Amino acid sequence: MKAQKWASILMTTVLATGVLTACGSKPNNNSTATNSPAASVAPVDPAKLSGTLSLWTFFDGTKGIATAFEKKYPNVKVDVKVFPGDQYQIKLLSALQSGKDVPDVLDLERSYVGKFIESPFLMDLAPIGAADLVKNYIPYVSELGKSSDGKIKAISDQSSPGGFWYLKENAKKYLGTDDSTQISEMVNSYDKIVELGKKVAKQSDGKVHLIANAGDLFDIASYNTQPFYLNGKLNIDPRWEKVYNSQKEIRTNNVDGKLPFMSAGWGNALNDGSVVLVAMPAWATFMIGNKDNKAVGKFGVAKTPEGFYNGGTFRAIYNKTANKDIAAEFIKFSASAEWQNADLLARGNMPALQSVYDANLDKYTAPLTGDQKVLQPYYAMMKSMPVIKSDKYSDSILSLWRKTAGQGITDNKSYANVVAAFQKEVKAAFPELQ
Amino acid sequence: MISKINKSNYGYLFIAPFFIGFGIFGLIPILYTFYLSFTKWDGFTDPVYVGLANYSRLLHDTYFYQTIGNTLIIWVMSIVPQLIIALILAIILNEKFIRGKHFFRAVYYFPHIITPITLGVMFSLMFDWQTGSVNKVLMDLGIVSEPVNWFSSPWWSRTIVSAVICWQYFGFNLIVFIAGLQSISDEVYEAAKMDGANKWKSTLYITLPMLRPVFLFTFITSVIGGLQLFDAPLMLGDGPNNTTRTMVMYLYQTAFKNFDYSYGATVAYGIFVVVMILTAITAKASKLNE
Repeated sequence: MKAQKWASILMTTVLATGVLTACGSKPNNNSTATNSPAASVAPVDPAKLSGTLSLWTFFDGTKGIATAFEKKYPNVKVDVKVFPGDQYQIKLLSALQSGKDVPDVLDLERSYVGKFIESPFLMDLAPIGAADLVKNYIPYVSELGKSSDGKIKAISDQSSPGGFWYLKENAKKYLGTDDSTQISEMVNSYDKIVELGKKVAKQSDGKVHLIANAGDLFDIASYNTQPFYLNGKLNIDPRWEKVYNSQKEIRTNNVDGKLPFMSAGWGNALNDGSVVLVAMPAWATFMIGNKDNKAVGKFGVAKTPEGFYNGGTFRAIYNKTANKDIAAEFIKFSASAEWQNADLLARGNMPALQSVYDANLDKYTAPLTGDQKVLQPYYAMMKSMPVIKSDKYSDSILSLWRKTAGQGITDNKSYANVVAAFQKEVKAAFPELQ
Repeated sequence: MISKINKSNYGYLFIAPFFIGFGIFGLIPILYTFYLSFTKWDGFTDPVYVGLANYSRLLHDTYFYQTIGNTLIIWVMSIVPQLIIALILAIILNEKFIRGKHFFRAVYYFPHIITPITLGVMFSLMFDWQTGSVNKVLMDLGIVSEPVNWFSSPWWSRTIVSAVICWQYFGFNLIVFIAGLQSISDEVYEAAKMDGANKWKSTLYITLPMLRPVFLFTFITSVIGGLQLFDAPLMLGDGPNNTTRTMVMYLYQTAFKNFDYSYGATVAYGIFVVVMILTAITAKASKLNE
């Protein structure tokens, strides 16, 4: 009986400890207090800053800025943890909710930055001079880091522009020119794409396609249309009808290679030329096979009918971090011309600062694109991008639109049919929307 | 003769680790999920109590009903060939005259040790519309003139998902059947042989009836496992008009893609009820056959 009693006490104690531990981790979301002094806008002496900064990201490329920051601030170590894929959002949210093992600085992807900046977990970056940091930014980039009440909560160091990438040799063969400006003119509307695509298909006996996928138009139209969430309601920009019908025409006329972005076939087409123009963001050039420099100088970049960008890494500070000073310097560094210029020259990442574009516009060339002044097509497109705010729903709804409309294109369904199916999907996923 | 079992209380200490582990990592999350199903919670703010609103939403959610149907269809399409293939191969590999049986058992079991994610990706590449090897082979053989868009057809999509699951699990069931076959005494077969029974009759009237408990085991584990299909189908997508979206995929998308944890919790309890009902039906049907 005595042993039974002790066993009961032991089991109860362990269970109760588990319960209390779980309860004890519940964060106080309303608190923004910190035991660290507020960071200042004034520059900090690199030698005086010391400590370890923890940084969570979904993108391996972030290690580049960590290394550069450590070089500038020799007494600081940046501990970067990379969590690829969907798990990152879940991992991050769990950490923020529990308040345990939370990074000082966190990366947020373009498609979900809106969800996080509306949460109470991120620091308002005003005290570190955020307004000054982004005042020379490409307008759409700075706007995406603002919460609905206008506070800057996240800052990106890139503009992630996209364009039509092409093998020059291939373009000459099928389009008659490899000049970026001329090709940009040839495909500056969806109608022109359809007509040109028909010619390429005919010329190649259906083996070569002008573009990789009718779905590329989703990327191009995504941020040139009104957001899907507007004033608490589902909002479908009427422009989608034109885009959708163009996509159907592209598909039915064999203009596209039916290769989804980043699929294995898409990567092959980019390298072997079975697709003439590949809509691709600047950061995706790692997909180009350049072993022994075989791709050097062989590619060009042309403008898409409307400017587009794909992805983007936004960086925020956890509001209860004990490392606010280092975190603030890190954000300032990422927003600086010094870093963005170095990142452009080292990795070809397109800057968010207009001043970096301006300084390099007529002189920057990249190995893959040879002597083309590749910033020129990008800069013009990025400056013209509509300025829209991030929000909690639009990107999730956009992925439902891609799914439903993508299916509609394959099944050759009418726009009305697709809209009805889409509205049903949205209502099921987000019943709170009107 | 022992008149009394020694009920020493020290035994509880030895079984305690399991129950403590289950309590912390099993029971508490189960109860917390139940609590969440009565709230509205997106993970960013505190949960708000909404009563039975999520359950009411679930009852009217046609997509949830569709996922139940999809799961059952995929399960039936995978379990039937899976058990037939496993049984036939088990009977063949149990024969004494078959050479290299251990090698074949290992080969057939091999897909079971590959992660479902890997299998899903592999099949999605094989059946890719434009670049898949299956279409290339079919076109080279002249069976089709242009690539087949497998994943734009509900039934082809379901067949491919079922094939992945069948291929993954038939080796496991094969091993279970072989274990069952080896538990049947040789004397029974020898007696049948003496009575003039041939191989076919022995299989029909001895092997199959005596394997009934094994059938029951594989069937019930298949029902429970089959209704929780997730990883391999996830890699192959939702299918046209969500026709390959399973119940657990729907739970995952609701909770972790749409960040609607509370409704995700409700879907989890919905799945629990469906699994309970179908397991009970299976158990009942198995007893009725006895």
